[in-house]
Amino acid sequence: MDVFKRLEETVNKQFDHGDLPKWLADPALEVARSPQLYQDNEYLVELLLQQVEEYDVYAEAGCCKWAYDHEDVARTLRWLKEGK
Amino acid sequence: MPVYLDCNATTPVEPSVAALVTRFTQQDFGNAASPIHDYGLFARAAVEHARNLVGKVVEARPDEVIFTSGATESNNMAILGLIEHAHKTKRRHVITSAIEHKAVLEPVEYLERHGFEVDIVRANSDGRFSVEHLAQVLRPDTLLVSTMHVNNETGVLQPLDEVEQLLTGHDALWHVDAAQGYGKELEQLKSKRINMLALSGHKIFAPKGIGALILRKQDGHFPPLQPLMFGGGQEQGLRAGTLPVQLIAAFGEAAKLALRMHAEREEKCIAFRKKVLALLSTLDVEQNGAERWTLPHSINISLPGIASDQAIRALKNVIAISSTSACTSHTQTPSHVLAAMGRSPAQVESSLRLSWCHMTPEVDWDAVATILHNLHKTKT
Repeated sequence: MDVFKRLEETVNKQFDHGDLPKWLADPALEVARSPQLYQDNEYLVELLLQQVEEYDVYAEAGCCKWAYDHEDVARTLRWLKEGK
Repeated sequence: MPVYLDCNATTPVEPSVAALVTRFTQQDFGNAASPIHDYGLFARAAVEHARNLVGKVVEARPDEVIFTSGATESNNMAILGLIEHAHKTKRRHVITSAIEHKAVLEPVEYLERHGFEVDIVRANSDGRFSVEHLAQVLRPDTLLVSTMHVNNETGVLQPLDEVEQLLTGHDALWHVDAAQGYGKELEQLKSKRINMLALSGHKIFAPKGIGALILRKQDGHFPPLQPLMFGGGQEQGLRAGTLPVQLIAAFGEAAKLALRMHAEREEKCIAFRKKVLALLSTLDVEQNGAERWTLPHSINISLPGIASDQAIRALKNVIAISSTSACTSHTQTPSHVLAAMGRSPAQVESSLRLSWCHMTPEVDWDAVATILHNLHKTKT
């Protein structure tokens, strides 16, 4: 399964059964369903997938983060939009 | 150019891995310790992404992954970092095996010179260290057992499953030098009994200069290591120094590919091995290390009566091979690994290591066979 399909599945799972809020799930699904727009930036899509998989409202802050919170996901979505 | 058959020394870099090195060198060059702007935030995101990917291969949590410059540093940290704990607990008995890499044997020798008691476990002729001997020398006050995963000279997979059984319920810390097998043999390193794992990037298609020490937490605590370097508190205070983001991102990508492409890579290595074994079956050679335990990508042989350097020189326009580990070949020291396996000096001095990978192109085996047959004729 390619990274876009895995992203779609993971976003749906985290929205339906986890804590991922709609305001992050919607743009993440938009990325997952637009491989033609983001296929040149697979590295960031993989990063987004990992962040959604390990989304945690109470992710630790500090020098090393062991989970990802809404700021991380929102930032990666912004980088994708900006074509970073 | 000859075909490169020295992948146990170092592997070529995967193109997608090299692309990330370029990206994080030229374009996204921020410091992961400066997450106050997008440059730093992106660098930190890349490091944490890589930490996750590197840990996943051995089912370790990302916070258990400490990035280092490579397996040599990781091995030194795991062994020498215990000195303070040893003095506090008065447990100064260390066990390792005779076929370890010098990056383990030399730190252990250092401990011995500084008052530690050391037992060296012997190896069997099949290339595996003796678990029976390990059981004999294991003591209630043993501080550390250090064993390798896959031998770098023979490619032989070591009996870690049996060591796991032996050490279950024992207090000794267990360190595994996994430089040669990480990302290639996927099962044994998942053992939660292993406290410390030394990894190398450049054996799995990442560049040289990056590795990791996996420190598995028990009851929420790391093994009782002290850092060997100070100045910055990076990597949870265990490994100071600015993180080389481009190398870490590359290691992460290489780890991801090692998992994702494992079956495909292994299949290619097995197909290549069949050709090597077919060639060798026509020659007078002896394999060093039991075939049943040898990973698909490497083989160590002795050519009776033909010195290693003579064979390497004769073959140099067709294949690039080595006689022993890259880290000791420059010293011209006979292989301590083969000697520990009971090979005769003549067998050791005529040994060759061939190691390949999924990126290895076709070899002109007819040319190799002709050269080796001619060497045999010259000998007789």
